[in-house]
Amino acid sequence: MDYAVQQFLNALSFGAEYALIALGLAIVFSIMGLVNFAHGEVIAFGGYSLAVVGTILTGNPLILMGFVLLACVAVAVLLEKVAFRTVRDADITTGLLTAFGVSIILQNVFLLLGSPRPVAATQLIFLDRTLWLGPVQVSSLQIYETVATILAIAGLGLFLTRSNLGIAMRAAARDFEMVRLCGLRANRVVSGAFAISGLLAGLACIFIMARRGSAAPHMGFDPVLTAFVACVVGGFGSLPGAVLGGFLLGFLEVGMLVLLPQSYGGLARAAVFAMVALVLIWRPDGILSPASEKGDKI
Amino acid sequence: MTRLNASQRRGLIGALLLSLLILLIVGLYALWGESWQARVLYAAFVNLIVVIGLQTFMGNANFAVFSHAAFMGIAAYAAAICVTPVAMKAVSLPDAPWGLNAFEMSPLASALVALGITGTLGLLTGLFMSRLTGVGVTIVSIAILVIVHSIFLHRTDIFKGNQALFGIPRIFGLTHVTVLAIVAIFAARLFRESAVGLRLRAAADDEIGARAMGVDVHRARLVAWVVSTLFFAAAGIAYAFFLGTISARPFYFNFVFLTVAMLILGGLRSVSGAVFGTLLITIGLELVRWLETGPTLAGVKLPQMLGLSGLLLGVVIVAVMAFRPHGLMGNREIEDLVLPRKGTS
Repeated sequence: MDYAVQQFLNALSFGAEYALIALGLAIVFSIMGLVNFAHGEVIAFGGYSLAVVGTILTGNPLILMGFVLLACVAVAVLLEKVAFRTVRDADITTGLLTAFGVSIILQNVFLLLGSPRPVAATQLIFLDRTLWLGPVQVSSLQIYETVATILAIAGLGLFLTRSNLGIAMRAAARDFEMVRLCGLRANRVVSGAFAISGLLAGLACIFIMARRGSAAPHMGFDPVLTAFVACVVGGFGSLPGAVLGGFLLGFLEVGMLVLLPQSYGGLARAAVFAMVALVLIWRPDGILSPASEKGDKI
Repeated sequence: MTRLNASQRRGLIGALLLSLLILLIVGLYALWGESWQARVLYAAFVNLIVVIGLQTFMGNANFAVFSHAAFMGIAAYAAAICVTPVAMKAVSLPDAPWGLNAFEMSPLASALVALGITGTLGLLTGLFMSRLTGVGVTIVSIAILVIVHSIFLHRTDIFKGNQALFGIPRIFGLTHVTVLAIVAIFAARLFRESAVGLRLRAAADDEIGARAMGVDVHRARLVAWVVSTLFFAAAGIAYAFFLGTISARPFYFNFVFLTVAMLILGGLRSVSGAVFGTLLITIGLELVRWLETGPTLAGVKLPQMLGLSGLLLGVVIVAVMAFRPHGLMGNREIEDLVLPRKGTS
């Protein structure tokens, strides 16, 4: 029983991390149809900025966390301005390949300026302590992560339903042209989406750094890959779908780690992805896919 | 034999021109090349076969897919395991299950087995790849890449993981791969101009319209997907038969970045673009690799810069997408540069 509770908490925190990242991908995709492969590099940038600022300026964790969030938001908005604005009206494949290129550039910039080896940044690992809830052993980080994700989702929900910019974003996901005709600036809506995706990436970055204790060029790649799969399962561009997919993958992954024998641990992710492929045979557009734009289903 | 239509005849001319270009390069090497350049040329031609294979699916169906390195790896391992002599496998694969180290086959039979295995896996994955839409295709292709790679790493008794699987007879030389590259060019060009190729391109431009005209889009995508995996298989076999040792590492993201950048630079939509992109990036990378090692230039010792070649690939992709989204060639093939098209364009 204790073991089951422990694994349940594990799955919840894995799922929370994937959901955070998947939400950042989905909000950008829903508005401008961009598959943001560079999202992982935004997270890595947050990690590096933590390493640099943490060693040069201050060791105060609260300031550092704020700084990581700020750095991720800034770099996400900057990427949109520099790289993604030129391909805003292009088709999905063009945008996807551009983002893919941006991701390669950033990874190699980290490689050139930093080093291929991880750079230590241990300022946040104090978040990860072992707690005892009665007989159950949990990591404090898992609780922070789950709670922070739930708060972030609730906050995002409020923002999207109550604020003008949020409502404009939801409208833009349906029909961007119409939003522009109503007098809202396209640049503001898109920048807003990137800022939110950067904020979510920053939040994920804090937790990833607390667990890893070091920054590396490829650190964002694996979680973002899983988050992409989460988005596809949930239905790409659907925000509830991203959250659902994220938690689904978290539970699948922990389930695989528990069920597969120890020697097959390396295959857990492969098994998860294979199961996802099966889900997609059943529903090629994902579980909660947004209304099709092909015109034949209206 | 059925008569070829006008665009298929033009396709043959185009393929012929591209083959002449390939032969010209090999001829230049034969006259003035140094022996280390044979390896560069061989690698370039293996990449060329992969990029042409990518073009048959990515270019005609207009989906970005990243799983080609996985199929190439599967074929390379299959061919290597079949062709390596039993005596050598006793050393290189002592723990292989299912009697994999207790038989050997002729190179031709090994290549056919590798093509068969890869093609079958292509068919199985194609069954759902052809039904997915838009972004799903890309993400699931990445999932396939990750799955295959983790199996390579996990089953060290068969694939040796990141260690090298050695002792593969080195059967192929530059001549073989040149012939293979030329065959690939003709095959891809004829596929592009075939009925299936035309249907695919129509569906990529307007899926609803193509369906309304009676095109079975899923079927056309499935055919293209399987055909493209056969190209990757051919490249994987050529890779294993030349190098004599293979490991899992080259069949992963770095190779995917490289080949995708090659295709994008030349232009997704034409076979000529695939050829030009491969050649240009190969030349560019040779220059950058030299810079990367920190050479002395005009008396100044440049620092060692790891990651420069990757940076170049990324810059090429972003720049092409921003300024020339259809690549250098766009919709044009090589013969369109030489012979202007008659009538409607």
